[in-house]
Amino acid sequence: MVAPNDPPPLVDLIGNLLAEQGRLQTPAARAGVAFDQIENRKSKIENFRSLIPLTAPAPGEQYAFEVNLDKCTGCKACVVACHSLNGLDETESWRDVGLITGFQQDGAAYQQTITTACHHCADPGCMNGCPVLAYEKDPLTGIVRHLDDQCIGCQYCILKCPYDVPKYNKRLGIVRKCDMCHQRLGAGEAPACVQACPTHAIRIVSVSSSPASQLQSSNSNLRTPTSDFLAAAPDGAITLPTTRYVSEREIPTSAAAADAGIARVQPGHTPLAVLLTLSQLALGAQAAALFVTYYVTNTSSFPWGAVALGMLGAALAASVAHLGRPLRAWRVFLGLRRSWLSREAVVFGGWFGALAAAVFTQLPAIEIAAFAIGSVGVFCSAMIYIDTGRRGWSAASVSARFAGTVMLAAGLAVSPIAGLAAAALKLAIDRIALARGPWETRALESGALRFAFRMRSLLGGTGLLLLAAAALGETGAWPVGAAFIVAGELAERILFFRAIDGSKMPGAGAS
Amino acid sequence: MKTVVENLLRAHDGPMTSELVLRPAEFGLGRVPGRLQPASTAKSVCGFCSTGCSLLVHLDESGQAINLTPDPDHPVNLGMACPKGWEALTPLVAHDRATTPLLRNAKGQLEPVSWERAIAEFCSRMKGVQARHGAASVAALSTGQITTEEMALLGALAKFGMGIADLDSNTRQCMATSHVAYKQSFGFDAPPFTYADFEESDLLVFVGANPCIAHPIMWQRVMRNRRNPSTVVIDPRRTETAMAATLHVPVCPGGDLALLYGIAHLLVSRGWIDRDFIAAHTTGFDEFETFLRDFTPARVVADTGVSESTLEQLATLIGTRERVSLWWTMGVNQSHQATRTAQAIINLALMTGQIGRPGTGANSITGQCNAMGSRLFGNATSLIGGHDFANPDHRAHVASVLGLDEKRIPTAASRAYDQILGRIATGGVRALWIVATNTAHSWISHCGFAELRRKLDFLVVQDMYATTETARMADLVLPAAGWGEKEGTFINSERRLGVIRKVSRAPGEALSDFAIFKLIAEGWGCGGMFRQWRDPAAAFAIMRALSAGRPFDIGGIRDYDHIEAEGGIQWPFTSADALVSKFGVRSSEIGQTSDTAQTPNSDLRSPATHERRLFADGRFFTPDGRARFVFDPPSPLPEGANRDYPFVLITGRGSSAQWHTGSRTAKSAVLQKLAPNSAWIEIHPADAGPAGIANGDRVRVSSRRGTTEAAAQLTPSVQRGQVFIPMHFPEVNRLTFPAFDPHSRQPAYKACAVRLERLSQE
Repeated sequence: MVAPNDPPPLVDLIGNLLAEQGRLQTPAARAGVAFDQIENRKSKIENFRSLIPLTAPAPGEQYAFEVNLDKCTGCKACVVACHSLNGLDETESWRDVGLITGFQQDGAAYQQTITTACHHCADPGCMNGCPVLAYEKDPLTGIVRHLDDQCIGCQYCILKCPYDVPKYNKRLGIVRKCDMCHQRLGAGEAPACVQACPTHAIRIVSVSSSPASQLQSSNSNLRTPTSDFLAAAPDGAITLPTTRYVSEREIPTSAAAADAGIARVQPGHTPLAVLLTLSQLALGAQAAALFVTYYVTNTSSFPWGAVALGMLGAALAASVAHLGRPLRAWRVFLGLRRSWLSREAVVFGGWFGALAAAVFTQLPAIEIAAFAIGSVGVFCSAMIYIDTGRRGWSAASVSARFAGTVMLAAGLAVSPIAGLAAAALKLAIDRIALARGPWETRALESGALRFAFRMRSLLGGTGLLLLAAAALGETGAWPVGAAFIVAGELAERILFFRAIDGSKMPGAGAS
Repeated sequence: MKTVVENLLRAHDGPMTSELVLRPAEFGLGRVPGRLQPASTAKSVCGFCSTGCSLLVHLDESGQAINLTPDPDHPVNLGMACPKGWEALTPLVAHDRATTPLLRNAKGQLEPVSWERAIAEFCSRMKGVQARHGAASVAALSTGQITTEEMALLGALAKFGMGIADLDSNTRQCMATSHVAYKQSFGFDAPPFTYADFEESDLLVFVGANPCIAHPIMWQRVMRNRRNPSTVVIDPRRTETAMAATLHVPVCPGGDLALLYGIAHLLVSRGWIDRDFIAAHTTGFDEFETFLRDFTPARVVADTGVSESTLEQLATLIGTRERVSLWWTMGVNQSHQATRTAQAIINLALMTGQIGRPGTGANSITGQCNAMGSRLFGNATSLIGGHDFANPDHRAHVASVLGLDEKRIPTAASRAYDQILGRIATGGVRALWIVATNTAHSWISHCGFAELRRKLDFLVVQDMYATTETARMADLVLPAAGWGEKEGTFINSERRLGVIRKVSRAPGEALSDFAIFKLIAEGWGCGGMFRQWRDPAAAFAIMRALSAGRPFDIGGIRDYDHIEAEGGIQWPFTSADALVSKFGVRSSEIGQTSDTAQTPNSDLRSPATHERRLFADGRFFTPDGRARFVFDPPSPLPEGANRDYPFVLITGRGSSAQWHTGSRTAKSAVLQKLAPNSAWIEIHPADAGPAGIANGDRVRVSSRRGTTEAAAQLTPSVQRGQVFIPMHFPEVNRLTFPAFDPHSRQPAYKACAVRLERLSQE
């Protein structure tokens, strides 16, 4: 026994202190505290009663977020509370806070933080684009819900949402998004962000869900010539967002997002680039096959139909590789009524069948039918992107590029000169289509996309030179040149995805 | 059948849907994620800033924290928290926690060693340095981030046990100015306010403070004010708070002192001063009045860049509103004339009699969670327990409470942080012990710290992480348990003691700072002196005894549970106050009670004990009970802009999700989403344009001391000729100019001269 006043040997002390460090108070010891807190349960929930509707929306109405910008001062507690109270993954939150800056009428500086989550649109782009009906708009509350077990992870909703709301979750292979904490609202509790805002800037209100009244009821202080919805935010006309931003201050017309003009390079979606390129090349090859068979009547020609079939097969395989949850993809026909992606998938499937039949039967009627179906499929491909309404994916831009690829394959298959002409034309189209705006030009010429853009130009340029050599009689250069041109097309199609200005709410700024 | 087909076609349920199902929890929490159902909860005051928010930590069956929500039942935060508070548990599970002591080996690498070896190494090398170079050759730098009990034990151990003369802490970088200003003006470092004052003012004036970002929960209290108050922000930048204010006064950097004197001048000339209060409760006003004559509007306009009409408007507001409160923080404290600026604010409150009543006061908002604990118990500038080293009575009192030989107590305060570093440069200090601070990042103009490191024979860093810029330079790293892994108290801005609880196991062999100090005491051979410091609770009892008869007497506080049950307790809380509180009688000693403060869920608590302010009776802590007017003429910025360095660089908080050098906040992926993860520089568009700098461009920033790079953020919230870089990236203090307030020795982080170049974007 050591007497109490003797110093304990250091080793014993270390052991004791480490043991003590590892001891936590158990729940039983806290029972008294817990009891106190049960007493307070009611009051905590009641603290937020004034911030949520006490009744379900009336017919013709839906729930919406209302954000009082005069109270939003940028603490961002809402973002973290969404993460914590919903048990989201490490980097995941369904709310963001951005910033707009500008000058007031009197010349003084203006800045305003903007908290934003899903706008639970009256005409949701995500829902309209989903090929498997993984979104539904609750008929009573108007909340746009995502069915996590239905989602195939195609991420088309991300492209369809002008506000960058659905977020891809790599762990799960699906997207997830804000559901306005409908489980809490259903029980009379406020959503996480509403509970967490120290200044009560966020509320849930009932608003008219009729499209006509959607934008008119929002605060006129906040509209600008470029957005009916909110200054520096994407136009509301596309999806009719229901979030109400209100303020007693006017947002100056000079206000711009803090991250305006900063290149936001988007994901390249390589499997999709392969799908688009190969399917369009396949259609071109098929056109060449028809042309060679029925106009040139050179019966011993190269089997372009079989090549087309092979490319289309590879294209479809790539499309499946794009999905986060490919085993659920059999439901892809469900969205036929609304989704161009659903249509493309179904038509491409039919095309593959028809093309295979055509290759094996060599029947002209089937060959022509297969070509027609393929054309419809490529049209659907184009519509997928045109339908997003993104700047840079205009009907003209997308159609010219996709048709150009089809034409290119046909030209390359027919002769070096035809290939040379088609490839030169396609390079010109791409240059015009890619460098649309200031940031894209900067990104392509000197910024983040410089390398990719140079690769694309180098591959295409080398292809042109080789084709020119082939046209001058160096026939061995034809297939090599064609290979370079095809590689250049793949590089272009990756840029098609990367060099798009991701439509979103105002962001927080440079880094 | 139909539903089977429907379910097959559209999966409304399944494993992924289940992941996000919420279930009602006990303890008043409402719905929480199903997999994070708590078995119980514990309350703990947040360990980031000084607001002192209470967090309700959700625990599993083993008592381990699994999640948290802000405490709805706490008078400070009323159920709210800023992002750092919400994410307080995340930094505890970072992969780079220090889990064993690390010792630099012959190859120059840090390698794991046992605690036994670490303590032996610590003691033998520290003692070796002392033997070779004298006791004063060992110094220590501490923090405002550990518990008061730990600060007290460190202070006592270092000074009384180990003979370390110079112990300072990073509170020198944040609160030294307020400490000195209050001490000189009020006779004691005593912030007079309570947070209810935010809700009870008619006019709130914020000087060099951006509570929307730096103290969001205090801004919450401002927003709860039902008196339709005016709010004024005096700040060179048009911050979030300036935007939310009714009046923004865009003073030029360093112009605040002249501005405050200019306001005082106008108050005198308009007769908007409280002569009765001045006569009854202050000294030095006549001299001050004479001094103010020079601060005519014309001069002040020229010195501050503020228009005469704005100056008039501000003086009129202060002179005519019934309840005026003045608030300051780092914009004042981190300047070259910081103490006099803080006192110029105090002078405004004194001359208008705006003190001691609800909604008034000259109020310093604190930075770190426990800066006040450090000020009272750190044993650095003040003798432990808010005493004076030079005062023999104080030394005798401390010696008797601690049961030690009075001769062990030094008769002078420690040297300041900058002086300690200066002594390393000159060879006076050869061994340094750094506890829970990141000097290599945070110290002003820190380029030199690596050089200083080379001059040290022994550098010990005691920290949660072995990866801070400073820990990576250490010879010995002692792995510390962090907030949430130990018990103790913090003292917040409004003098409120709060308790932190052990709700998470520290990783590996990490130990609480308290335990590490105990080990060092034993290893050093002075363990006997600290036998009564058994554990934090015992240390708290010692602190209570030390406080007896001092302005912050906490003799009425029983223990941690008492503090927690009361929702924190503001000092002073004497035994007499405890009786008052128990029987619900209002204390005339302490201050007027809040007449409009209504905090939810606290109906059973008396405002007399829960929202208390000082000086209601007009008696201050000076020997004669009178407050002092302290003033000096303003001086120009030590390093103003010129042709070669045409911009004034301002530094400060980047966002509410960032804290200090990011050693904790950078560990949370969600917090990292809330602000850029690398340095940015805010530039006025009209300055950026001519320099060819576009939003997002990389920019090289150079001062006379160093160069760094940052991403350009074009914003009119900075004025032309000024730029702003947040302090959370190590780059910024390569640039700052090492000027110090002469009274508080606090570094002037807020202004230095820089130039900008756009970098090629390739």
